[in-house]
Amino acid sequence: MANPQGLSFERFSTSIPAIPSAPALGPMKRTQTPVTTGTSVLGIRYEGGIVLAADTLASYGSLLRYRDCTRLHKVNDNTVIACMGDYADFQYLLSIIEQKAITEDCMDDGFNITARSLHSWLTRVLYNKRCKFDPLWTTFLVAGTDEDDDGQKKEFLGYVDKLGTAYTDPVIATGYGSMLATPVMREAVEAKTKNGGQLTEQDAIDIIKNCMTILYYRDARAHYRYEIAVVPTTGKARIEPPTEIKGDWQVAHLIKGYE
Amino acid sequence: MALDSLCGFATGQPSFKAFSSMCTLQNDLDVFSGNFKNNLQLMNPPAAHIPELEAMKVDYKDPLHRERKTPYGFYKSPLGYGPMEVPDVGAATAPSPGGGVKIQMAHGTTTLGFKFKGGVIIAVDSRATGGMFIGSQNVKKIIEINDSLLGTMAGGAADCIYWERFLSKQCRLYELRNREKISVAAASKLLANICFHYKGYGLSMGTMIAGWDKRGPGLYYVDDDGRRAPGNLFSVGSGSTYALGVLDGSYKWDMTDEEAQELGRRAIFHATHRDAASGGVVRVYHVKAGGWEKISEVDNDKYWEKYSDQKMPIVIN
Amino acid sequence: MSMSLMRPGGFSYSELANAGPVEHQFSPYTDNGGSIVAVAGKGFALIASDTRLSTGYSIYTRDQPKLYPLNSNTVLGCSGCWCDVLSETRLIEARMKLYKHEHQKEMSPAAVAQMLATILYSRRFFPYYVSNVLAGIDAEGQGVVYSYDPVGHCDQNLFHAGGSSGALLQPLLDNQIAHLNMQIKPTEPLSLEKAKGIIKDVFISAAERDIYTGDGILLKIITKDGITEESMKLRHD
Repeated sequence: MANPQGLSFERFSTSIPAIPSAPALGPMKRTQTPVTTGTSVLGIRYEGGIVLAADTLASYGSLLRYRDCTRLHKVNDNTVIACMGDYADFQYLLSIIEQKAITEDCMDDGFNITARSLHSWLTRVLYNKRCKFDPLWTTFLVAGTDEDDDGQKKEFLGYVDKLGTAYTDPVIATGYGSMLATPVMREAVEAKTKNGGQLTEQDAIDIIKNCMTILYYRDARAHYRYEIAVVPTTGKARIEPPTEIKGDWQVAHLIKGYE
Repeated sequence: MALDSLCGFATGQPSFKAFSSMCTLQNDLDVFSGNFKNNLQLMNPPAAHIPELEAMKVDYKDPLHRERKTPYGFYKSPLGYGPMEVPDVGAATAPSPGGGVKIQMAHGTTTLGFKFKGGVIIAVDSRATGGMFIGSQNVKKIIEINDSLLGTMAGGAADCIYWERFLSKQCRLYELRNREKISVAAASKLLANICFHYKGYGLSMGTMIAGWDKRGPGLYYVDDDGRRAPGNLFSVGSGSTYALGVLDGSYKWDMTDEEAQELGRRAIFHATHRDAASGGVVRVYHVKAGGWEKISEVDNDKYWEKYSDQKMPIVIN
Repeated sequence: MSMSLMRPGGFSYSELANAGPVEHQFSPYTDNGGSIVAVAGKGFALIASDTRLSTGYSIYTRDQPKLYPLNSNTVLGCSGCWCDVLSETRLIEARMKLYKHEHQKEMSPAAVAQMLATILYSRRFFPYYVSNVLAGIDAEGQGVVYSYDPVGHCDQNLFHAGGSSGALLQPLLDNQIAHLNMQIKPTEPLSLEKAKGIIKDVFISAAERDIYTGDGILLKIITKDGITEESMKLRHD
């Protein structure tokens, strides 16, 4: 489209069909409710990278429908995204994002999608869908290490939701995580960084693991198996193999008042 | 690309393209600020095709003119111009944050206009309210369309200003095309046609178009339903009943210019005194054969002593 | 009107406890809070925003200013539904670039003001839920402030408070800057330092009483020499 004179790699990315919405199919249907959903995702920026975490559950209402669905995705060596919300919408966007990454790769010009540009692109896609009253029921965290104008690698952690609301922050959690995990994460980060201290990768992972455990105990849609992604400024982004929370329910019988 | 053009899938139409091709700057410019190309054309509500909201859509053929909901829940309150409401922002996932969102536009007004032997008097207040909050005490509710035409605004401030500004452009184009000034009748009809075009969409306008053309003084009432009526005396807005009381008590065709201007001023003053949604300054304009003239713009507070001292209304012979 | 400690949007925790399955319904709007205050004076214009971005009782981030410098003499402040803010400001920036390349000059604040009204009105039937305040320096070097309603009614003022604390702060400005309805009127024109002091004071007051305003403020000072900025911390609770 962009280049009428010659072969354009952009054509790859236009070949993915959107949901057909032609009048011939009857009244237009829109996703007004999420169906198969993932719960909270967490992200922390540390000195030298970003850590993301999400559990591997895709729930169907209160049913633990798919217990081994990854909700983290490595876009390229310095960008990882995580998604909360409707899993189908996530997969749909993922197919486009993967195609974008392949297109970039085909160019072989040394440039890649940066986290910042992917974040910006997601805000446009989600906002445009919102404006059609046909939202993609998802909340994304975009993590990456982008080069700034001086060629220095900088950490990036951004949030986008189904309306197109977007911001960046050193600590982000979505869904129940925003209520249960954010205060814990903010406090831990502040404690580590006050008096000129630095948050290391291991610190960030420890904080995230603690928060995933807290969420598992209190969020009915959370799961014990979860994944952590690390996007360091030095080296390549990686998604660690799933780890499992060993639940300790000893205190459960002490909690009263909800019978 | 070839297939697209063959099948006629244009941007903005239901499309089989992926987002990557739709999320362009040009697309955003076209879709979200279409009125730069044609300022008669506004972006349609996206909800128009949603079945649940379709049911709420206005049937403007309803002869009873019942109170009704438009696609977005903009509504007209029984008294005239209510705040525009958007449905409560419901839950997203889990106990959703985000409060109810209510969009409140400026509204609440007293405006009046009447013909007399010396031309047309237009007088207005200057208060804009959003809900119970006074948004501004200094709104210009008389819009100077051109040297011989005036428009008043009651209802949605943005609606009135936008469309009367648009009308101003159309009137100028008419002059350039026809080498003569547009008549008040024609100008008011242009506005009425716009109102009818957008009928049921929730525009909120109650306006008077006043001017002087080769037929002499002209005064028309035009509103958001597409209604248009010529007349000798109108008053529009939440304070109109009070203004009409004063006007009807003293109005006569044979008034001097000063008497007529004073009558308009008094009527607005008394309306702002009794109607909480009206206030600010009293503006008086006089349309004469040569065009309109601004007579006065004085804060209500300054008139208080003058009018409260007068036990009886002035006698107009 | 009674004071309520409940969320303004209308759910209470008791309702939540009694609710059956969680109802999902899509609404394209949300209120992300934030306040803007702008003051114009002789030879300067000031505009400030807080830096809190929130939704309901959650704070998204404590470091999100809501000011957009559009060119060397105009700054726009936006708060409300954040996704609309992002989209609207991008559109304005794009439009201004097109103008600049077409006319070989910067847009004047008056031109930006009219364009913003038109952009807002183009979405008359699906409004940008945004409170806009525009501050700038006109050709004579005088400060100007324009304020808007969500559908593009534009009003030119000497000062304006918009956003979640708008209704809280406007009366304060009426009293402190314009001395409206007061017997004693100011003897000298408003100075830059005085205006700056008033803006900082009113934000401190807003942070005390409005849950959507806090954390910090960013203040932009527009003079004929360009735009400088200052920041200040507010309550973090």
